[in-house]
Amino acid sequence: MASRSKLSGIQRQVLALYRGFLRTARLKSPEERHRIESVVSAEFRENARNIDRKNFVYIEYLLRRGKKQLEQLKDPDITGLSTLEINKNFRLVL
Amino acid sequence: MAAAALRPAILRRIRLSPSPAAAAGAAAASQPHALARWLARPMSSHDAHLTRDEVVDRLLDVLKCHPKVDPSKVSPEAHFEKDLGLDSLDTVEVVMAIEEEFKLEIPDQEADKIDSLPLAIEYVANHPMAA
Repeated sequence: MASRSKLSGIQRQVLALYRGFLRTARLKSPEERHRIESVVSAEFRENARNIDRKNFVYIEYLLRRGKKQLEQLKDPDITGLSTLEINKNFRLVL
Repeated sequence: MAAAALRPAILRRIRLSPSPAAAAGAAAASQPHALARWLARPMSSHDAHLTRDEVVDRLLDVLKCHPKVDPSKVSPEAHFEKDLGLDSLDTVEVVMAIEEEFKLEIPDQEADKIDSLPLAIEYVANHPMAA
């Protein structure tokens, strides 16, 4: 992995999105927080492993999708898991 | 309304040398945010600013608790990626854990720069709100 000083703009955006999810997870109940953290962490790591780092179009698509999911997750009525599961199924369909 | 209209007229006629108490009150009122921040501080045994040693100890503990870190490799000089083998996602997690430990919110721009224990120590030790 590149050293921190060489983080690209798109890497910074991905890390900021990850941070946003972790921050939002803190606002949920401890069990939900834990579940959200493991789902989100697994998703980011899986994508980091499987997606070519030069596939900017796809990464930018995922960034947009992630930002929308994060906005949904910020809603206090949404606990998180259902949102993420729906989107996972949605991805399988794609 | 009437009182508001009278106020400038009265104030123009009154000459008072400010007492020390009034001056202190005015000083506190001119820094409402500082006062509010101080009042909002959680009760804690270390009300004075944290000592550097305490910051270092607690940061070492935060790092040792991360599931991917080998506790024997943690030292005050350790670099998250080079010495502890963390990737950039792990580093985000570590910096978030540091926020929670010291009850801080580190802005993204700052958080992106913290990639080693020396930088984390520097940041927390110099942060006026670290608790």
